[in-house]
Amino acid sequence: MATPKELSGSNDVNNTVVGPSILISGRLTGDEDLTVRGRVEGELTLSRTLIVEPSGVVKANVAVRNAIVSGVVVGNINATESVELTREGRMVGDIHAPRVIIVDGASFRGRVDMGDVEPGRLPSQRPVVARPAAPVTRPSTAPARPSAPPARPTTPPPARPTAPVATTRPAPAPTVTMPARPASKPLPPPPPPRVEPRPVAPPVEPASAEPPTPFALGAGAKKKVVVKKKTR
Amino acid sequence: MATGETGIIGKGIVIKGNLTGGGDLVIEGRVEGQIALKNHLTIESTGKVQADIRAEELTINGEASGNIDASTRVAINASAKVAGDIKAPRIVIEDGAVFNGSIEMDVRLPDDI
Amino acid sequence: MANTVIGSSIVIDGEISGDEDLVIQGTVKGKISLKESLYVEGSGVVEADIETQNVEIAGRVTGNIVASDKVELKTDCRVVGDIKAPRILIADGASFKGNVDMDMKER
Repeated sequence: MATPKELSGSNDVNNTVVGPSILISGRLTGDEDLTVRGRVEGELTLSRTLIVEPSGVVKANVAVRNAIVSGVVVGNINATESVELTREGRMVGDIHAPRVIIVDGASFRGRVDMGDVEPGRLPSQRPVVARPAAPVTRPSTAPARPSAPPARPTTPPPARPTAPVATTRPAPAPTVTMPARPASKPLPPPPPPRVEPRPVAPPVEPASAEPPTPFALGAGAKKKVVVKKKTR
Repeated sequence: MATGETGIIGKGIVIKGNLTGGGDLVIEGRVEGQIALKNHLTIESTGKVQADIRAEELTINGEASGNIDASTRVAINASAKVAGDIKAPRIVIEDGAVFNGSIEMDVRLPDDI
Repeated sequence: MANTVIGSSIVIDGEISGDEDLVIQGTVKGKISLKESLYVEGSGVVEADIETQNVEIAGRVTGNIVASDKVELKTDCRVVGDIKAPRILIADGASFKGNVDMDMKER
């Protein structure tokens, strides 16, 4: 067995492993990777990566840099970098991490909070903060590209008028639409889809005060829209 | 599912209200309200949906906010931004995707937990 | 046999139990009960009562030790506490303070 020299050697040799028959209950902290094949209960704080292998069970509140879960986790995970639930991963609890990956086959119940990864990315959700930059020019209707937020005010508007107008509608009005919507939009955003209440009725009312005429479909907020079909 | 029929809501379209239907649907534009589909719904990267969604299967490349209830599977791909509560037997979140909300799947835990 | 290793930067405050060998390079406070062998390496610090089959100590242990087979105190180890085991080895250079009980009549 390697005799690791103090903390410095904690790179590769010195990973902590909790074997399949081991139960640790209490508080566990450390500055190295931890692989759990057995069971850890209580509280787990690492400045590195927690790996829960398929046989591993962690029933704890976890604070780590990265977590890779192939076993079972019951409790909350707070990761400064990422949390990944692999194909065999099962978890009940809340995840708070800027990157969360859930692979097909994994099962999970709980909340996911990726925080403000990109400020203002969801106008409907954090409109107030996002707005000040370009309150008028930025149509909240713009398809938000995942790219850089600053790019949004400029990119979306050109994209919309051209494509749709050409294909679906006679040309005239589109330019009117763009200015019209932002103008009427800034007010409504707060009400739209709050995440909380499930039975939210379409929170569209405020917008329809000044219905964007050019798009006929937009006017009738209440009527059902039958989707036109076309064969591919 | 394999009906071959696919509805498309193009990039320039804005729909406010309830959207129901039987076939597959691809949203490239904008929908606000509620969506109830029997089959597969795809929200393309240009698509933006603020709606509670019910569908058999849902693939998101664009933006969605609202609660989602899918009978088979929800895939939140790398370019997606999603906020809301999701309920489905299978849920996939790709690296790069942004999601805030809760997830409800069946989790089979060991008995001694 | 998949050994359990508690790395040198790890601190555990609580209980460890299990049926396999355990290597401690870090710090454990609380209680340890094992059916196999415990190795406290040079960097290891244990402030816990220990119950196991075998113990080998090269690091520091504060607490009472009960072993069903053997306790081995190696050179440079520092142990404070009572030891109870049918076989006890104390190497030259080991430092130990406490009682030794090798009479395992209750077993």
